[in-house]
Amino acid sequence: MSSQRQILVCCGTGCLANNSYEVYLKFKDLISNKEIQIKPIIKPTGCNGLCEKGPVVKILPDNISYFKVKAEDVEEIIEETIVKGKIIDRLLYFDTNTKNKITDHKNATFYKNQHKIAIRNIGEIDPSKIEDYIERDGYAALKKVLFTMKPEEVLEQVDKSNLRGRGGGGFPTGLKWKTCAKYNHYPKYVICNGDEGDPGAFMDRSIMEGDPNTVIEGMIICAYAIGANQGYLYIRDEYELARKNMQIAINSAREYGYLGKNILGRGLNFDLEIVRGGGAFVCGESSALMASIQGKVGEPRAKYIRSVERGLWDQPTILNNVETWANIPPIISYGPDWFKEIGIKNNFGTKVFSLVGKVKNTGLVEVPMGSSLRSLVFEIGGGVIKDKKFKAVQTGGPSGGCIPKEHLDISLDFDSLNEIGSMMGSGGVIVMDENTCMVEVARYYMEFLSEESCGKCTTCREGIKLMLDILTNITKGNGKEEDLDLLLGICDTVEKGSLCGLGQTAPNPVRTTIKFFRDEYLEHINNHKCPAGVCKNLTSYQINSEACIGCGICKKKCPVDAITGENKKLHVIHQDICITCGECYENCPTNAIEIGGGIFES
Amino acid sequence: MKVEINGKMLNANEGETILELAKRNDINIPSLCHKKGFDGLGRCRMCLVEIKEGHRTKLVSSCVYPVKDELKVQTHTDEIIKIRKDIVMLMYLKSPKNKYVQKLAEEYEIMIPEKYVQKISDDCILCGLCVEACRELGTSAISMVNRGTGKKVSTPYDDESKDCIGCGSCAEVCPTNAITMTENENTRTIWNRTFELVSCEICGKNYTTLETLKYSENLLGQKIECICDECKKKITAATFKESFKNIY
Ligand SMILES: Cc1cc2nc3c(=O)[nH]c(=O)nc-3n(C[C@H](O)[C@H](O)[C@H](O)COP(=O)(O)O)c2cc1C
Ligand code: SF4
Repeated sequence: MSSQRQILVCCGTGCLANNSYEVYLKFKDLISNKEIQIKPIIKPTGCNGLCEKGPVVKILPDNISYFKVKAEDVEEIIEETIVKGKIIDRLLYFDTNTKNKITDHKNATFYKNQHKIAIRNIGEIDPSKIEDYIERDGYAALKKVLFTMKPEEVLEQVDKSNLRGRGGGGFPTGLKWKTCAKYNHYPKYVICNGDEGDPGAFMDRSIMEGDPNTVIEGMIICAYAIGANQGYLYIRDEYELARKNMQIAINSAREYGYLGKNILGRGLNFDLEIVRGGGAFVCGESSALMASIQGKVGEPRAKYIRSVERGLWDQPTILNNVETWANIPPIISYGPDWFKEIGIKNNFGTKVFSLVGKVKNTGLVEVPMGSSLRSLVFEIGGGVIKDKKFKAVQTGGPSGGCIPKEHLDISLDFDSLNEIGSMMGSGGVIVMDENTCMVEVARYYMEFLSEESCGKCTTCREGIKLMLDILTNITKGNGKEEDLDLLLGICDTVEKGSLCGLGQTAPNPVRTTIKFFRDEYLEHINNHKCPAGVCKNLTSYQINSEACIGCGICKKKCPVDAITGENKKLHVIHQDICITCGECYENCPTNAIEIGGGIFES
Repeated sequence: MKVEINGKMLNANEGETILELAKRNDINIPSLCHKKGFDGLGRCRMCLVEIKEGHRTKLVSSCVYPVKDELKVQTHTDEIIKIRKDIVMLMYLKSPKNKYVQKLAEEYEIMIPEKYVQKISDDCILCGLCVEACRELGTSAISMVNRGTGKKVSTPYDDESKDCIGCGSCAEVCPTNAITMTENENTRTIWNRTFELVSCEICGKNYTTLETLKYSENLLGQKIECICDECKKKITAATFKESFKNIY
């Protein structure tokens, strides 16, 4: 790597939203107009993971990282850090775990426990420059494959690595490729699933935006191994930057002779085309995705003949997830044995998670499979915001399950998550605190899924609707205990009776919340009380007379003047005026506000 | 090919589905979205059966699952019966006032959770047969639009369809009578469009629309006599009788 100074400005979607592009332009502008002996190179990069603390600026080789950088800070950074070599304390990262300020972000707890394979280059390179990728060993795996390996050897290496698909199902990638390679009807196709429909998930987006070439390299390697000449990148409708960076990367790869006819003079013909996603969650399902590429309605079909045999246009097809593709070049370069040193048995390698919700450090993290959920939430994530009580983690996207604190030590791998009734999904992790209502959580996901079900199967379409109706009833205070049996019965039918993964996994949020938080359901049903204070019909607030110090903050915060009380004396909430917005509860300095049951009128 | 259904060994043909094989052998597998001659749709989920592959069993839609040699199938396990009952219950919640659905609910002895019965009864159970019928004809004037509970059968943008020929095949195939087709003296209205009717040259009854006639003529590339199905049958029967006369 060059020893010239580099200033890397994060231009991932999160940082862009916080004006990082302005920061980038300001650096360019000021540096070009300034007399400096050796001018630093300024690069826009992909997502660094710590989106919430962005825009992130890294200075190499000094290894200084600045967070929450504004355009106004740029001049100071140049004057102090670039010219004089001084560190600006104010912009350093504050590690909530160690309570220290940290100069090199790699020493922060957030990054230290990570192990980056799929997102190894993100934040380190300018995604629009194929040269940056090549400088970090990009396309070395492709060269190795084309010049030194037979297709069967490639299949063997991928198979031996035991890599499992990162799109959710965890299907062995090597087995998929080997099966497809066996069929002798051509043409064959290679597809990248970049639909990423889970709300709040952004793993695949970050890879496509921040390191598009690794996906392309993985796909070319597969094309060589199975004998395909055409590939498609199916990218979610809203992901404009991902499509743009992908297209730039495709164009550059063509210029470098990695795509197109007779790749690197080795006789392989392969090219890629971007397809814009159909805009529905279900379009990420493999058969719906292929229908959508063919211009048909994005509805899943029964896959009794698998797509490795008859997929896109009824031809043998390999579909893999973005992150799966990003794992291929390192596996080829360093070998399956290297890969199997990371992670745990049957679940080798790493997984990228998007950590969101009520956790201090939200962002993109890549950890070895088998890491504990606890370390993800409390070490990397830094624990729950405002140090509230941890309640649950929802993994696996809208049809994943909720995992309670008793199971925080669960190993993050495909099998353990399935066993507990949740799933890996594509890697969304949502942290929930004591003020989250688990009935409402289940209701929310059923609402999402009832809108996103393609509506083909009676069980999925009407079954999820019934679950939603029952849960809505419970959150409004009209639930009965026997509703829980009805719910669980329908869960079974929706799971077993539905055609695709959406219906088959939709009951997870309902089942796990009933299993782990049954008491909370019963509080709603029998006592008309939402213990988390979320379901408005089932919540009231009272002031604990012993804890109240009469500071008057609640009175000021209440938007409808429902609180009265003299200074330094006990305050009172008037239930007839209160709209249960929870402002007083959130703001009371002595936690004197207590959540009570609903003042219920049926 | 040998396939076992409910313990009975059957001879199966390459390429047929489990449902077709069962029907051929008078084994009843309920199915609401399947019609002979149409591809299986796998929508209603009533035709789920359990198959055994190696040591594992799984549920598959028999209307689309192709038979394989030595396949073992169970059509009425407790698990499957419960799912079928639930499916009928779910249909009832959506279409409580529909006669066809009411009959099903009776037949399956469904317990109805009254609280969750929809106030507005929707006759369509989204089996998709109408869309298939229209597609088979080559007109494809109607399709499934939207997703989730908003899914419905419709013409593009709910407008009167320029592809519809008013033949009424969709209404005829609909098991729940959910498609409104009204006829006046000389017109038929369906899918928001009104068609002129043509009458039979023999009995004088209105029997099809002008567009349907033209569509058929176009397909065949020749003129067609305006004779209704009933009169056509009578003519065939008469010719038949005539030819028998000559034999005996
Ligand atoms: C409803 C539904 C949505 C899905 N969405 C995605 C998605 O957004 N991205 C993805 O890679 N896989 C998604 N999948 C999984 C795909 O069907 C498929 O298994 C995967 O792309 C295969 O790639 P892999 O083996 O590399 O994981 C979805 C599955 C279902 C049932
Ligand atoms: S399970 Fe749901 S999403 Fe999947 S095909 Fe059936 S209706 Fe569509």
